[in-house]
Amino acid sequence: MSGPAREALNVLYANTLRTSQSFASYNFRNYFVRRTNDLFKAAQSEQDSTKLDAFIKEKKKELEVLKRAATINQMFGGRKLVVETEEDVSLSDKTPDKMERSDS
Amino acid sequence: MLASPVLRAALRAQKRRNITKFPALVSRRALAQSSTATKASVLEVPSARLESLKRGPEPSTSTLELSQHPSPAAALNPIYLDAQATTPMDPRVLDAMLPYFTDLYGNPHSRTHAYGWEAEKAVDEARRHVATLVGAEEKDIVFTSGATESNNMIIKGVARFHREKKKHIITLQTEHKCVLDSCRKLSEEGFDITYLPVKQNGLVDLDLLESSIRPDTCLISIMAVNNETGVIQPLAEIGRIAQKHRGVYFHTDAAQAVGKIPLDVNAMNIDLMSISGHKIYGPKGVGAAYVRRRPRVRLEPILSGGGQERGLRSGTLPSTLVVGMGEACRVAAQEMAYDHAHISALSKRLIDGITSQVDHVYRNGDPNGYPGCVNLSFAYIEGESFLMAMKNTALSSGSACTSASLEPSYVLRALGATDDIAHSSIRFGIGRFSTEEEVDYVVRETVKTVNRLRELSPLWEMVQEGIDIGTINWSQH
Repeated sequence: MSGPAREALNVLYANTLRTSQSFASYNFRNYFVRRTNDLFKAAQSEQDSTKLDAFIKEKKKELEVLKRAATINQMFGGRKLVVETEEDVSLSDKTPDKMERSDS
Repeated sequence: MLASPVLRAALRAQKRRNITKFPALVSRRALAQSSTATKASVLEVPSARLESLKRGPEPSTSTLELSQHPSPAAALNPIYLDAQATTPMDPRVLDAMLPYFTDLYGNPHSRTHAYGWEAEKAVDEARRHVATLVGAEEKDIVFTSGATESNNMIIKGVARFHREKKKHIITLQTEHKCVLDSCRKLSEEGFDITYLPVKQNGLVDLDLLESSIRPDTCLISIMAVNNETGVIQPLAEIGRIAQKHRGVYFHTDAAQAVGKIPLDVNAMNIDLMSISGHKIYGPKGVGAAYVRRRPRVRLEPILSGGGQERGLRSGTLPSTLVVGMGEACRVAAQEMAYDHAHISALSKRLIDGITSQVDHVYRNGDPNGYPGCVNLSFAYIEGESFLMAMKNTALSSGSACTSASLEPSYVLRALGATDDIAHSSIRFGIGRFSTEEEVDYVVRETVKTVNRLRELSPLWEMVQEGIDIGTINWSQH
């Protein structure tokens, strides 16, 4: 994998992960974090550059969707579940760009 | 608590100040002050916000926001493990739908202006996503209000269209209520219905099915994945049997199967199929019917009207919901393998966790069924009391449609379950958004609850003493 593509992939990975962590609802947050990690870890070992380019292009589009979805989720979602532990909460608080929920 | 009278006084003072200084704000304030619950949540706001309230009459957006939707309760919410009843809508689906709730409100059937065209384009794209997911052509897909409507439309439609020559329908005892009830309605109209029994694992007996086909059979209706047990019927084999007999159409209710297991209407010789939106992380209130065009399957429509959807389902399409369903199908096609692996792992974790710690647990239905639907019976426990004791988990003892009644499930009875086993069944529905921690929590709670309820049970005590419950003659007469 060439330098710039790897760079682009890593930046996109970090952004997508941060956006995924900003979902207020426990289930959505966990799902998108898990999926982002699995997808991007697989992509990091991808050797085919055309496939990688297609992946980056698709995930860039999806990142926009996730950003909007996370914002809406912060406005309307986020009821705490019985399984949500202190760790879960601090995990999302650690995120620097985490948007505050309007009603929190 | 001590602070609350002070706060209330502050609010009252604030209100008075607003009235005197900003008369225009009065009406806005009034909007924000509604129920006591809202007030309670206002009172709980941190002191920083109180300071800003005290500071003076800035526009009261924060108060407005507070009352926009029910504020989250202080209590923690239960885990959702009822994916067969419905699924949470995927955030990606909501994002796809929102433009059609705002600017793109055209009627997809309007041909004379751009509003109509853009809505039509979106509907066509959604149709393509649904069709791709089941290996169909776009034009084969008819949007309806849900799988119940699709089932009604197909079963009644096919039967009534062919009523001159054909009078016989074959279905299963374990079908969903809407299939069984449609068939019951048809039998009142003079049709013959064969309700096939199932084997003990919930699967249809293919030889029995084939021998039940008569010259006047017009329809075989067998569901793909059972909603209570997760049993997957051998669709390809059933399709082959139906194909051997001319004029016998094969309908499958795939509400619980689409997007979860691979389906192909051509490879499986499926002529008609019912699909639901809200079981695949889409919106409620929308579904689809697959109606084969080549060779053509004809049905009599239930609704008469503008002739939308090939004349099979008149009425303006809810383009927003249709877009949501299309997106849900697109995501489902993309995520099917990933979701299936995740759900299988969680399912195994759940079953292993429970069976390793609790005795006398029976799995209802074929163990090779859809892993996201785990139906377990805990012997010597009443299902409803279990559900009530499991306060922190949203579970069900069977289908949501019948969850209000205390009758044992007819699906489990058809599998040959005895009354006590059918009464003690619990359905665990695992979905895309379920997590390992949730499953572990549910396993812990289940083990605790089962042990506690069994300790209370005299039956359990007798079993521990070695008395065979089956031999007891309960009645004195």
